Amino acid sequence: MTIYNLYIFHENGTLLYYQEWHRRKHTEMSREEEGKLLYGMIFSMKSFVNKLSPSDLKDGFQSFKTSKYRLNFYETASSVKFILNTDTSVTYSLVKDLLKAVYAQVFVEYAVKNPLYKPGDPILSLLFKNKCDHFIKASSFYK
Amino acid sequence: MDSEEVPLDLLHIELVAHFVSQKDKIDEALSTLEAIGFNTGYRLIERLTRDSLKFKDELDLMKFICKDFWVSVFRKQIDNLRTNHQGVYVLQDNTFKFLNKISDGKQYLEFAPRYMAFTCGLLRGTLANLGIVSVVTADVTSMPSVKFQVKVQRV
Repeated sequence: MTIYNLYIFHENGTLLYYQEWHRRKHTEMSREEEGKLLYGMIFSMKSFVNKLSPSDLKDGFQSFKTSKYRLNFYETASSVKFILNTDTSVTYSLVKDLLKAVYAQVFVEYAVKNPLYKPGDPILSLLFKNKCDHFIKASSFYK
Repeated sequence: MDSEEVPLDLLHIELVAHFVSQKDKIDEALSTLEAIGFNTGYRLIERLTRDSLKFKDELDLMKFICKDFWVSVFRKQIDNLRTNHQGVYVLQDNTFKFLNKISDGKQYLEFAPRYMAFTCGLLRGTLANLGIVSVVTADVTSMPSVKFQVKVQRV
């Protein structure tokens, strides 16, 4: 089992943070472009899923899977969006618990409570990077 | 961390941000923060010492600061206390609360002084109400570790 990469988006679509671990193939566009494309896709995916649902959805869009990877999506009440790509053997419920923990114990602690971080700006703090890296590597499904 | 501490942390962040927003007046901002800390410490200690007896000497008082006082403000004790027995005390906190969300090394080091001013004042105010006139400075070489130096002024 593997974790490929993590994207964190602000409510307004800004890419706040990106980190990768076992990603072997890269796109030819810049990170910002890639972020915009991904955010747009997720945005469409959310409304698509909600519109096509035959009954009221509680959680909405959570993840999709191809033959090579699974994209996991977690959104907080404040509309911060976490996207974690893993391989296909990882289940969404495991990832959701991990992303919840990353939100509460890394994002809130080392971005929101960092006085030098302005909400909505990309996160440049090395402390945040270290903590995030540590957290992901400690998870049960990081190889 | 107890959630009841979070409002104080966030208030401190805003307090600092408010006073240092006028960029050219950073020294003035730091002395305002220090003064706010002084008054806070001066009042706070009235409440904290209601159960303790009179301190037998200066060192005894400094030990109280490192233990009970620091625990009541920052939920931890000072990690190391040193003195030259001539009125200079060095209090070292290895994981200082107001810095430990910012960095764990040299990144953002230039911003450290603004997050120390309030606490320096807090210490000075506390000591002042207990009869010790002092100068308190803070030295940060790698976050989140801090050395507070207390120089007692003899009259």
